[in-house]
Amino acid sequence: MPPDKLGLPQGTLDLLILKALSLGPMHGWAISERLHQVSKEAVQVPQGSLYPALHRLERQGWIDASWGASDNNRKAKYYAITRAGRRQLDTEAESWRRLAAAVQQILAMR
Amino acid sequence: VFDRLWSELRYRWRALVRRDTVELELDDELQFHLEQEARKLEAKGLSREAAWRAARVAFGATEAVKDDTRDVRGVVGLEQTWSDFSHTLRSLLAHRAFTVGVVATLALGIGVNATVFGIVDRLLVRSPERLRDVDRVHRVHLSWTQDGQRRSERHVQFPRLTDFQRDLRHFDLVAGFQVRTAAIGRGEDTREAPIAIITPNVLDAFDAPPTLGRWFTAADEAAPDGGRVAVLAHGFWLTRYGGRPEVLGETLQVDRMDATIVGVAPPGFTGIIESRAPAVFVPLRAFASAARGPAFATSYNWSWLELMVRRRAGVTEEAANADLTQAFRRSWAAESALRGDRDDVAERDPSARVGSVHLGRGPDARLDARVALWIAGVAVVVFLVACANVANLFLARAVHRQRDMAMRLALGVGRGRLARQLLMESLTLGVAGGMCGVLLAWTAGSALRVMLLPEGASAAVVTDVRTWLVTFALSLAAGALTVVVPATLAGRLDVTAVLKSGGRGATRPRRRLQAGLVVAQAALSAVLLVGAAVFVLSAERAQAHRLGLDVERLVYAEVNMRGTRLDEAGAATLAATIEDAVRAEPGVAAVTMAASVPFWTNEARGLIVPGVPDIRERGRFTLQAGSPDYFAATGTRILRGRGFTPGDVAGGLPIIVVSDGMARAVWPGREALGQCVRVDTMPPVPGATRLEPPCRTVVGVAEESAMTRLEPTREFTYYLPVPQFPEGVSPQFLVRTDLDTTAIAGALRERIQPLLPGAAYVNVVPLADLVAPQYRAWQAGATVFTAFGALALVLAALGLHSLVAYEVAQREQEFGVRVALGATRRDVLTLVVSRGTRLVAIGVGAGLALAVAVARPLESVLFHQSARDPLVFATVATSLFLAAIVAALAPGLRATRVDPAEALRAE
Repeated sequence: MPPDKLGLPQGTLDLLILKALSLGPMHGWAISERLHQVSKEAVQVPQGSLYPALHRLERQGWIDASWGASDNNRKAKYYAITRAGRRQLDTEAESWRRLAAAVQQILAMR
Repeated sequence: VFDRLWSELRYRWRALVRRDTVELELDDELQFHLEQEARKLEAKGLSREAAWRAARVAFGATEAVKDDTRDVRGVVGLEQTWSDFSHTLRSLLAHRAFTVGVVATLALGIGVNATVFGIVDRLLVRSPERLRDVDRVHRVHLSWTQDGQRRSERHVQFPRLTDFQRDLRHFDLVAGFQVRTAAIGRGEDTREAPIAIITPNVLDAFDAPPTLGRWFTAADEAAPDGGRVAVLAHGFWLTRYGGRPEVLGETLQVDRMDATIVGVAPPGFTGIIESRAPAVFVPLRAFASAARGPAFATSYNWSWLELMVRRRAGVTEEAANADLTQAFRRSWAAESALRGDRDDVAERDPSARVGSVHLGRGPDARLDARVALWIAGVAVVVFLVACANVANLFLARAVHRQRDMAMRLALGVGRGRLARQLLMESLTLGVAGGMCGVLLAWTAGSALRVMLLPEGASAAVVTDVRTWLVTFALSLAAGALTVVVPATLAGRLDVTAVLKSGGRGATRPRRRLQAGLVVAQAALSAVLLVGAAVFVLSAERAQAHRLGLDVERLVYAEVNMRGTRLDEAGAATLAATIEDAVRAEPGVAAVTMAASVPFWTNEARGLIVPGVPDIRERGRFTLQAGSPDYFAATGTRILRGRGFTPGDVAGGLPIIVVSDGMARAVWPGREALGQCVRVDTMPPVPGATRLEPPCRTVVGVAEESAMTRLEPTREFTYYLPVPQFPEGVSPQFLVRTDLDTTAIAGALRERIQPLLPGAAYVNVVPLADLVAPQYRAWQAGATVFTAFGALALVLAALGLHSLVAYEVAQREQEFGVRVALGATRRDVLTLVVSRGTRLVAIGVGAGLALAVAVARPLESVLFHQSARDPLVFATVATSLFLAAIVAALAPGLRATRVDPAEALRAE
C-alpha cells in the first residue's frame, strides 16, 4: 500500500458502505470506486474485503441484494440500503462523529 | 429485532438449501468486479492482459475472498457435518464386512439389553397403570413363627380382611383382591379366562373411570352376599362383544355365578395384578359366597386373598407397619378363639408390614424376578463384550487407515476435524446398531419375554417410551465408547513417523489397549460360561428331581359344575359315571378322584393328634382325598403299610395315609403306623358346639410328594379315601396314561363333556403344564446364559484372532529374520500362539475370580447346584484355552510361511 493512502480503522468499512449505499443502489465495484473518488483517493478499500462485508451486511438485513443490468448491459448484483440499514447508518455515523470530535479534542490538548 | 432475525434465517436457509446457486452467484459477482476494474484500467491505456493482471492484484486472492464470504454465511459447521456424514456413509459402504460386523455386534448387545430392560422394568420398576399415589400404595406381607422359623405369607382369609378393615387406623384404604382362572360364559361359548375378584374400594386407588356403565359400589359389597354383577375388561369387551354398548344389563355366567354386566373397564386397567390381565372383574363377596357358601365370611380356613392398602398421607412406613402388626395380632387372637385353640400370639409373634406393589421387590419375590435381575446383569456384560469387540474392530481397521489419516493430517486437515469424522462414524454405527437391535428385540426378544414374564402379560414391551430411550442411550453409549479409542489414537498419531514407515509403525499403547480388550473379553466370557454351566446343571437337577408323583404320565380333568346343583347321591353317580367313562378310554391306565391338585389347588384342614398339641407349628399339612386307585394312578410310592382299598368305605374303620415327612415331623423317633389322627373336616360354626372328629388310624406311610413347589420345606401331605371324606370331593380327576398326555387330554374332554348336566364344563390339561412354570425360571436362566455365553465366547475368539493377526502382520519382518537366524517354523508358531493363550490365561484367571465372587448370590437362584463347582471351572478354562488356540492358529500358521529372503529384502 502506497504511503499516501490511509488504511481503514477496524469496523469503519461497514459504515462507509452504508453511507455510499444511502445515496442510491449500486454494485460492489461501484461502491469501491465511489469511496475511492469521494475520499479524494485518500482511502484505499482493499477490494477483496468488500465482498465479505457486503454479505455480512446483507445477512444482518441492513442492505438488500438484487440482480440487475449494469451500464454496459451486463448482469450485476446491486445492493440497496434498507430502512434498518438507514437507522444503523445514523447510529454509527453519530458515534463516529462523537469519537472523531473526542479524538480531535485530545489531540488539541496543550 | 424480528426483521433481523427473519433476514438472518432467510439468508442462512438460502445459503444452506440453495448452496450451489449461492456459490455461482458469488463467482458471478466477483467476476463482474474484475471485469469492471480491468475495463477501467484498459481505458487508462493499459494492454488488455496487463489490465487484467493489475485488476487481480488489486483484488487479492479470489479463493481467500470466497472463503471469507462463505464464513459470513454461518453454515460452514453444518456443511462440514453433512460432508462428514456422507463421507462416513461412503466409507462404511465401501468396507461392508467391517460395517456388518460392527452393526451386527452392536445390534446383539443393544437388542439384548432393550429386551431385558423392558422385562426388568415391568417386573420391578414401572408402577401399575392408572394407579394414583403410587408411593403410598402397598401390598401387605405377613409373617409368624412356625416350628422355630419365620414363615412369610401374603394371602389372607376373608375374615382377616374384615378384621384389618375394622382395626387399621393409619390407612385410608384396605382392599382385597385375587385373580384366578374361571370358566366364563355358558354352553358352547364357555371359555376359561382370568378373572379379577376385587373389593369395590380397590377402584379408589386408581384413576380408572369406566368406559361404559359403572364400577362396583358399596352396595355390591354389602353383607351377606354382595351384588351379582360384573364389569368387563376393555379388551374382553372388544373381542367377545365387539364393543357393543347394549352389553349392559346382559347376564354373563362367571364361574358359578350368574352376573349382570354393569360396566366396561377403561383400556389397560388391570389393577395391581401383575400376572395375568383379567377378562372380567367381579365383586369379592358375591364371588366368595357363590364359590364357598356362607362360611367364607367367618372361616379362617380359606387363605385366598391378597391385600392392597394405602397409607394415610403423612404416615411413615414404620408407623404403618406397627399399625398393621397390631391389627394382625388382634385378628390372630380372634382366630385362635374361634378355633377354640389357646392364645399363642406371644410365642408365634405374628407381624405384618407394607411392601412394594411389585411382587418382585417383596420378600416373596418370584424366582422369575430374581433370575431376571441376573439376566439383566448378564445383558450388561454382553453389551460390554460387544463394545470391546467393536473397539477392537476399529483398532484393526485403524491400522489400514493410519497412512490415510497421516496423509490427511499432512495435507492440513485439522485433528479436530479428523476426530469429528471418527465420532460421526461411531455414532452412525451406534445408531444403526441400535435400530437393528430394536428390530431384534421385537422379534427374537419375545421369546425371552415369554420365558420370564408371567403368562398372558402384554408381549409388546418394546413399544413403551422408556425402553426406546434406554435403547437410544445405549446406542449413543456404544458409539461414544468405541470412539474414545480411535479418536485418542488420531490425536496421538505421529505424522512423519507414520508416513516414513509406510503405515507400519504401530504405537505401543495401541497394542497394550488391544491386548487389554482381549483380556477383558476373555474374563467376561469365562464368567458367562461358568454361569451358563451352573444354570444348565441346575435346570437338569430340577427336572430330574422326583416330585413324589409321575407328573409326565398324568392328566388333570376338572368338572366345573358352575351352579348346577346336584344332591349328594346325584353327585356321587355323576362322579362314578365319569370315572367309568375315563377308564374306558383307550390308553388310560388308572384314574382317581382328587381333592387337591398338585401345583394347582390345595386343601387344608385342622389336625388334632393326641399327644401333639403343637401340631400347627410342625408344618403345613395338605389334605388329599383319593379313590382306591389313587397311589397306582399318581405313582406316589407307599413306603410302609398300605394304600387305599375298595374296602375303605364310609362306614368302615376310619383310616389315613401320611407322608414320610409328616410321619417324622409329628411322631419323631416313633412308628407312625397305628397312630391316631383327627381331621377337622367341618368348618367351625360360630356359637355351635364342636363335635370331635373321628380318630383315623394311620395305615400307610407314602413318599413325600410336592403339592405346591418343587422343594417344599415343612409342607406335608396326608391322604383320606374319598368315601371317608365327609365334605365330598368336587368332581376332579387325575388320570394316568401311557400315551401322549396332550392327545389323551383332547380325547377325554370329548368323552366327558356330553355326560355333564346344565352349564357344567370340563377342563382337561396335562399335569406337566401345571408344573412347567416351576421350571421356567431355571430353564430361562440356562437358555439365556448359554446363548449369551456362547456369544461372548465367539466375540472374544474373534477379538483375539484380530489381535494376533494384526501382530503377525506387524512383525512379519521380525519372523523372517528369526527364521533366517535358524528358528524353526515350530518356534515361530509357538511364539505366536503362546502370546494369544497368555492373554486368555490372564483373562480366564480374572474371570474365574469374578465368578467365585458372585457365586454366593447366584446360588440362591440355583436348584441344588454349587456355583463354585471345580469341574465347571476346569471345563470353562479348558474350552476358553482351546478357543484361544484355534483363534491364534490361523495367523500363527501365516507367520510360519514368511519367506526369510523376502523379509530381509524388505528390510
